[in-house]
Amino acid sequence: MAEVDREFTAFVNERGAALLRVAYALAGNQHAAEDLLQNALAKAYARWPRIRGDAEPYVKRILYHDQVSGWRRRARRAEVPVADLPERPAAGDDSDLRLLLRDALRALPPRQRAVLTLRYLEDLSVEQTAAMLGCRPGTVASQSAKALARLRQLVPALDELTTPAEVTR
Amino acid sequence: MSTSLDETLRTAVRDLADDAVPAPDLAWRALGHGRRLRRRRRVAATATVLAAVVAVTLPIVLLRPRAAPPPTAPPVTAVPSPVIRSAPGANWSNGPLTLPGGWVVTSLNEIAKSNGKSYLLDRARGRYLVNGRYDAVLPAPTGSLVAVWDDDRPRQVGLVDLARGTTRWYEPGRALGAPNWSPDGRRLVFTSQRVDHFGFVVLNAKGASRTHAVDTDEFLCTDHCFFLWSRDGREVLLQQTDPGRPRSESARHPRRGVQFFSADTGRPTRFEPLPGDPAGPWAWSPDGKLVVVQGQREPLLVDAATGRVVNALPAADAVWAGPDRLLYRRPNGSHEFVYADTTGRELVRQPLPEQFRLAEVTIAPG
Repeated sequence: MAEVDREFTAFVNERGAALLRVAYALAGNQHAAEDLLQNALAKAYARWPRIRGDAEPYVKRILYHDQVSGWRRRARRAEVPVADLPERPAAGDDSDLRLLLRDALRALPPRQRAVLTLRYLEDLSVEQTAAMLGCRPGTVASQSAKALARLRQLVPALDELTTPAEVTR
Repeated sequence: MSTSLDETLRTAVRDLADDAVPAPDLAWRALGHGRRLRRRRRVAATATVLAAVVAVTLPIVLLRPRAAPPPTAPPVTAVPSPVIRSAPGANWSNGPLTLPGGWVVTSLNEIAKSNGKSYLLDRARGRYLVNGRYDAVLPAPTGSLVAVWDDDRPRQVGLVDLARGTTRWYEPGRALGAPNWSPDGRRLVFTSQRVDHFGFVVLNAKGASRTHAVDTDEFLCTDHCFFLWSRDGREVLLQQTDPGRPRSESARHPRRGVQFFSADTGRPTRFEPLPGDPAGPWAWSPDGKLVVVQGQREPLLVDAATGRVVNALPAADAVWAGPDRLLYRRPNGSHEFVYADTTGRELVRQPLPEQFRLAEVTIAPG
């Protein structure tokens, strides 16, 4: 095996699981997440001699960029509804709420899910999220607000929590 | 319900991410896909014309004031708005992309696109060449040399002389990464990551190389460790971890400073107590008294002699483009460069063509 291949394989073996988590949060399912990550890793491999010391940020940039491209390709596609969402949980049942929310996140359009992934999985600010996605901070805020509105529609128990300002600040 | 909305959403997004099932053959599949990408690029390269030969016309850079705030906006403060320059037009490749402070863009690499191109500034001819031949390129900051890599020559680095039209291949060592050009564009430093052979390799323009081992017990570096050039190009430096402070894999490791070594002999020369990592030789001010570093939490401007923090900055990968001016690319793949004072106050914004959002960009003094 060539040296480049060995280094690349070692990188994927070491960081692949963490990157797959990000890809899964972006894509919403295992198959799409693996496709998204495989494409990003392949691009990294093709450029390995130049990016070998900085591979993980490179792969993440590709993941988000491909997701942005995906938004554009899918711009006219209808949202995929989540079948059989459970009934509203009893107040105070955090684990039920988490399960409901996790399923509801899958029902969000990719763009809105990407914004929430950057904000809550990567802990980026609105400005950093906008820079990563190549849009204006106002767009991030509006996508966050739309995502929250959709989540409230799917999971009414969210109404009992604090205001939408929290995700748009 | 006591949990805040923010925390609930954070938990839910992380729950979703946790649903990912390990994919044990990920590396194997990515390797196959990556090899196909490389083959496609090579086929395309055979048809690549190096550059469009048209009249060299530097795009006229129009200055325009920042858009006025809407009537309902708060009153305008005393802080002046930055000058926002227009992005170069479609014929941008016909002349050097100039940046505020007299710097120029020396290469652009559309890494985020599967069929992305890379461009190199040919200083002698004052225009950009399309690279369709090499898998990676790194132009020297001055002169006509370009370091190139070919995946079919995994241990070699090529030095292309754009002025002479020659390419020579060298094998400076094994397991080398993080190449960096000296400020005079005559030497490359590589970081050797070989087990039990950590150190640096200096390759000069004639192909001669010298390897220098560095004792990692004496000069402890963890996290991101790679050799960079000093501002005068006589020394290289290595980031130094602070062994007395706790380290976490979820945060940048604490630094106690940077250790300098003679580029010629490999001997340790001096130490600067910096609380973070400089990005390269131009992270130091022209008089060497101040330096921009990536601190453990944020980019910082610090006193080079004492490590005292002067102020926080918006970006760590900044160069000094004048005695009291910084030039940096807005983080996270932005296509916009910012010319700012040492407090981080923006003076000029210069966007690159929109296609270079997320691209790799190298810059150098003009």
